[in-house]
Amino acid sequence: MIEYLSKPFSDEESLSSLNPYVRKWFEDSFSELTPPQKFTFKLIGEGKNVLVTAPTGSGKTISGFLSIISKLFDKSLAGDLEDKIYCIYVSPLRALNNDIYRNLTKPLEDIYGRIIKEKGAGIIKGNMKKVTIGVRTGDTTQQERRKQLLKAPNILVTTPESLAIIINSRKFMENMDKLEYIIVDEIHELANNKRGVHLSLTLERLTELIHRKPVRIGLGATLYPIEEAAKFLVGVENGKPRDCKVVDASWSKKLDVVSKSPVKDLIYTDSDEIEDALYKELDKAIKKYKTTLIFTNTRSGTERVVFNLKKRFNYGEDIAAHHSSLSRESRMEVEDMLKKGALKCAVTSTSLELGVDIGTIEDVIQLGSPKSVTRAIQRIGRAGHSFKEVAKGEIISMDRDDVVECTVMLDAAMKRHLDSFSVPENALDVLAQHIVGMSLNRKWNVDDAYAVVKGAYPYATLEKTDFMALINYLAGNYVSLESRRVYGKIWYDEKDGMFGRRGKMAQVIYMLNLGTIPDEVAINVLTTSKKWVGNIEEEFLTKLKPGDIFTLGGRLYRFEYARSMKCYVTEAKTSAPTIPPWFSEQLPLSYELAIEIGKFRAEFSSILKRGKSSAIISKISEMPRPAYEFLSKLPMDDNAKVATYNYFMEQILFAKAVPTNKLILVEKTHDPDTDKQYIIFHSLFGRRVNDTFSRAIAISLGERYDTDIGIMVNDNGFLMTSSEEVNISLKALGEAIEGVIKSDITNELKLNIRRTEMMRRRFRHVAARSFMILRNYKGWKISVGKQQINSQLLLKAVEEVDPNFPVLKETYREILNDVMDLPRTVQLLKKMEKGEVKYKMIDTDVPSPFSHKTLTFGHADVIMMKSKRMYLQKLHASVLERLGMPVKKIAKQKGKDKGTRPRKPPKTNRKRR
Amino acid sequence: MMLEENIELIDGKPLAYLKDLKALALSDLHLGYEGMMSKEGVLIPPVNLKRIIEMVSEAMAGRDVKSLIIDGDIKNEFSTVEQAEFNELYDLIMFARSKKLDMILIKGNHDNFVERYKEPFKLKVYRQEARMGRYLFFHGEEMPSAVERGVEFMIMGHEHPAVGIYDSIGKQEKLKCFLYGKYKRRRLLILPAANFFAGGTAVNIEPKENLLAPIFERVDVDKMHAIVLGYGSTIDFGTVKELRKAAVPK
Repeated sequence: MIEYLSKPFSDEESLSSLNPYVRKWFEDSFSELTPPQKFTFKLIGEGKNVLVTAPTGSGKTISGFLSIISKLFDKSLAGDLEDKIYCIYVSPLRALNNDIYRNLTKPLEDIYGRIIKEKGAGIIKGNMKKVTIGVRTGDTTQQERRKQLLKAPNILVTTPESLAIIINSRKFMENMDKLEYIIVDEIHELANNKRGVHLSLTLERLTELIHRKPVRIGLGATLYPIEEAAKFLVGVENGKPRDCKVVDASWSKKLDVVSKSPVKDLIYTDSDEIEDALYKELDKAIKKYKTTLIFTNTRSGTERVVFNLKKRFNYGEDIAAHHSSLSRESRMEVEDMLKKGALKCAVTSTSLELGVDIGTIEDVIQLGSPKSVTRAIQRIGRAGHSFKEVAKGEIISMDRDDVVECTVMLDAAMKRHLDSFSVPENALDVLAQHIVGMSLNRKWNVDDAYAVVKGAYPYATLEKTDFMALINYLAGNYVSLESRRVYGKIWYDEKDGMFGRRGKMAQVIYMLNLGTIPDEVAINVLTTSKKWVGNIEEEFLTKLKPGDIFTLGGRLYRFEYARSMKCYVTEAKTSAPTIPPWFSEQLPLSYELAIEIGKFRAEFSSILKRGKSSAIISKISEMPRPAYEFLSKLPMDDNAKVATYNYFMEQILFAKAVPTNKLILVEKTHDPDTDKQYIIFHSLFGRRVNDTFSRAIAISLGERYDTDIGIMVNDNGFLMTSSEEVNISLKALGEAIEGVIKSDITNELKLNIRRTEMMRRRFRHVAARSFMILRNYKGWKISVGKQQINSQLLLKAVEEVDPNFPVLKETYREILNDVMDLPRTVQLLKKMEKGEVKYKMIDTDVPSPFSHKTLTFGHADVIMMKSKRMYLQKLHASVLERLGMPVKKIAKQKGKDKGTRPRKPPKTNRKRR
Repeated sequence: MMLEENIELIDGKPLAYLKDLKALALSDLHLGYEGMMSKEGVLIPPVNLKRIIEMVSEAMAGRDVKSLIIDGDIKNEFSTVEQAEFNELYDLIMFARSKKLDMILIKGNHDNFVERYKEPFKLKVYRQEARMGRYLFFHGEEMPSAVERGVEFMIMGHEHPAVGIYDSIGKQEKLKCFLYGKYKRRRLLILPAANFFAGGTAVNIEPKENLLAPIFERVDVDKMHAIVLGYGSTIDFGTVKELRKAAVPK
């Protein structure tokens, strides 16, 4: 049973569960127990499975470890401590592993020292052993590994991948027979992806191998639904989740947050002016607070902000960039400087969101929407190191949709409405790896193996037929008998229902190809003197011409030439880059947040509709009372209020309809500038639903007109275009929508997906995970480029062999369920069928205000930021014109040499694909 | 479709039926390809031979076929005969035997060591070229040594011709094709690769100098007709020159 605990134990109850020396050490080192510790000391001491979510700086590590350390010292004092592994700690971040090692070494030494001192050296000599800790990751040297084999550490710190290797190492497993505890850290980084799914199977296999059930302890940042995370942690037995106590201490830290707009008018204010206002705001914060952390969503944004801050305000080495494209050394240097308090400000994309300790941050500024409530909380939670401090954060938005989105997001954060995650279910590729792993452990009866697998929560609903399809695939039953030597990974006797190891190669294949993270093409950037400076994406390289200047790690580089997977640069002496930044890694808007925004739209627009006033306002004092009161309940500044009010007012006046969580607005319109026809679905259900929904509509419409429909998806809806000859009527559109509501979209989507680039790439990933393309084989490493070509042939062949081939099936599952959101789309269609969600079609001669952002995305690939802004202004002017309102003059760009002086757009997540 | 009274390009298949020879001609089978890939760690299930056998069987229905002319590259590996190739070659030979087909093999650049099959399996093996009636078969890696009088038709493989076509949303699709034109007043037919995996060289996209066969030093590929096969049919798409226009994404 999963059981929530909300009442902490008393300090005495907690502390008295500890070994007296450990307790003494704790009391001398800390002045009090943190919120999670008030639960965990006792619970873990009693051997209960526990999941604890808590913010950074709440003593999470100690909360998970101290009771265990206490028990180990009990053993040591009793002379029972052996050179065995009693506790495994798994974290997805290698950097965190080293942190943990460092952070625990000292307490272990201290406590040991105390015991020696107090008890005197005499009794220690023969049998008082130290409690030891060791790290094992991909970075661990062979020598170190051998040492661990000979003398196992009592606490083993490792990664999911290394653990999966360990359980197939017979020698190492001999040290596991006393295992009592498994700690899974950063569970929010695992429960929602295949890496975590992989770990869940590893844990079940481990438990089965040692014939005992270690206590499972999960640690992590806040996530929802927390029961799912708990089930993921403890697994399933006899069809029911195993017992687990859940402690949600993630709310112990108070939030002080606000959504801001740098100016009142985000449409007509000169973009240089917005940019100036933004950077002034940032400078102010950096000067005011001891340390400021700025999140930008994209790596390119990170580069740009660092570049601008340094240039505008003469900052030097006290500002640094931190993102995943930088070398590990540079990143660790930044982390170290943060910890020491040597930085005024760090700018990061996502890489400092979680994990490693970065010391005290006073203020967190998020530029642009982080797209999910959970993420916003995780990022802002970086501020205020101790759990007692208030986490202070602000989000600065650069367009009106973002203003609304971020305001609603922060409101939800304060109300503790998180967006949900889901565990990928029945991923066949990950399971294929483990079946091979199991076959290497010993001979199995298929039913027994199936039962073990079903113990892992992500496989609790696995069908026997899917399991058997994998067994048959792995046994090579899809090729002729004589080829199975090569194709088969396991030996399988159908008659006895037994499977096991096949050949000598299987072990090597398993060890070298295990894991879930696909090989991606990253281009190494080196100076011409061969010094590595970072990575760029392949796509970005294709954009570079020799002589182009771009930023990487806050420095400027001149592109010289490229050779295969390497890009050679020299350091540039000029002051400005000449090439637009990388394609953004834009995050999708979550479903729950989209629904919240939809609700906000419904409420606020009904207030506006009830009011008498219909004016567009220029300052906050002009805002009608009810609207002002409504907005003032939300965490937003005055600029944001004015921008939001005008945005809604314009939409109501112009279109008489505001799309909400219960109303999809379907707008047929045309662009006055290009004279092109567009159909815009104002559909606010998260990007993944929009991605799925839009495809279904496009297929249905395309069939009706026998033409290809182009789609452009974003968070607030999607846009459809057709070739010029076709004029889509509202009637046909209505029929197409009804058609989708009634159809079985799963099959339609599969057919559609088959032709996409995504299918090609994802199939490669799945095939590699399923050991069909071996990345590492007989000493060869297959390059990504070659993997991609090979996977195309493989895809063709597999379809020929069996359209339900497990590898193919998994690819579709991954795309439809993990990348897109088929389940929620089906749900939406059901609601539409029942009339719970309605749609309304309107015909407008110019696009309505709420569609402008979607339309500018439609231009994303074609036009540059500056002209995109001009385009937005034009669209807006045409709306005002039709409303009979005075049109402001479109701001002329200042400066003489605009054409040659490139300037970065102020906002970081504008450029989307 | 019928190329002429005696020559039929079988709908949707990379096969030419030569009625006067009572033969099916095909080229570039590259047997053993999957086996070779699997040795490198890419476990492509074998489907190529199965498909070829299916195609030939289907083509035999309603046609009088006595022999199978393989215009080169029956197998994949250059330097040796791999186990997988041996197995598949054997299976193909046994298939031909069961259908009472003579197998005639024109050696291609991948076909070293196939002579070893000549004796035990009673294959007819020719080096690079073979004259049969009014036809001259040659693989195409080299120019035929001499084109004798009486040769009306020259048939080759080697090039794996295909055309690249962009659809209305700008996605490229590659379809295999026959190339049909003239060489020294004889008609020239270039067979597409029969191999299941060979996508082919998009002759309307590749620059001319990238083509492999030496014959293209003397024959302008732009003047040849691309007879495209796919989706169950075989259709003349016009000259390669025309198709170069279709190679530009919209």
